Amino acid sequence: MKNLTDVEIIESVKKGNAADYSILVDRYKNKAFSMLKRMLKNDFDAEEILMDCFLKAYNNISSFKFESKFSTWFYRIVYNTALTKLSNAKRKIESDMDSIDDLHYLKSKYNADDFLNEDIAVTVRKIVNELPPKNAAVITMFYLEEMTTEEIGDVLQISVANVKVILHRSRNLLRELIEKRNLLKEIL
Amino acid sequence: MNYINDEMLNNYLDNDLTSEEMQLVKSAIANSVELKKRYEALLSANNLLRETEIDFTSAEFTKNLMQKIKTKSSTARQQKYFLLSFLVLFGLIIFSITGYVLYEIILSVQANESTKGITAVSKNISEYFSGLFSKNNLSIFGSVLSFIMIISGYFLYEYQKQTRKKFGH
Repeated sequence: MKNLTDVEIIESVKKGNAADYSILVDRYKNKAFSMLKRMLKNDFDAEEILMDCFLKAYNNISSFKFESKFSTWFYRIVYNTALTKLSNAKRKIESDMDSIDDLHYLKSKYNADDFLNEDIAVTVRKIVNELPPKNAAVITMFYLEEMTTEEIGDVLQISVANVKVILHRSRNLLRELIEKRNLLKEIL
Repeated sequence: MNYINDEMLNNYLDNDLTSEEMQLVKSAIANSVELKKRYEALLSANNLLRETEIDFTSAEFTKNLMQKIKTKSSTARQQKYFLLSFLVLFGLIIFSITGYVLYEIILSVQANESTKGITAVSKNISEYFSGLFSKNNLSIFGSVLSFIMIISGYFLYEYQKQTRKKFGH
């Protein structure tokens, strides 16, 4: 049963086998949870919103027309629900310009010498967890879900060029930090 | 090698350049120590991002979710049955009233008056309906129907309230 494709599972659920939906849930829950946790910066909210997203997807599964991948459709639900949650909590929804500012903030927050003795993987995790929501969503979908930039553009409803800009900026932030760290190591 | 900017380097990493551009960046990296360091740092960042650990939901997540779906489905089914039984009841009331009216009309028509039957039936129907929809009867019908509607509305509201409580919203 676990080897069924998404399409086969959805067809089965549409026929009334609700229990098969659990296979889809198990397939996507952790990656979607990672994305929500990084966007909302809160474990409890992330799990609650994820539950809502799976319920929304289940309730609307009859309207899923197989025109896109289930993952693209589902991540669109996840991303939009997370944005609504952020908006409801009167938190700031980052625009592209705000994202740049926040990346600058992260640049100044994490100095190379602060994490010279820290495992770089730990630092990267810290930075990823502090990225603005849109950047966090792009990074998660690209690296964890291994989605293409076109698919990510579909989810976020933005152009491929914009997806690349967000991806490159997040990557460059880490590159600069690694470069500085390497330089410091050479000096010391 | 200043003409190789960050965007080109990122696109080179993603294999997102034309073959000529790929070759250009490749030779630029090979010929510049500074650019090579920049590229290696970018590669490192890319690998670290790829190796970022996934977060896990609570162990009971799927079980709780499927339980919610099951509860919601059964509540929806209950609502459907309730609406169906209400419609059946309403239909039965209408059917009974119509049946009673017809029964009274048929009784009032004499069996031997076959030639005058149609006239008598139509006359009786119009008399019956004008009697039936007289001021007094209309208010009784209206009151009964309003009462049924209010009771049904109350039960529907209670069902909605219970559903919301079950889903914690």
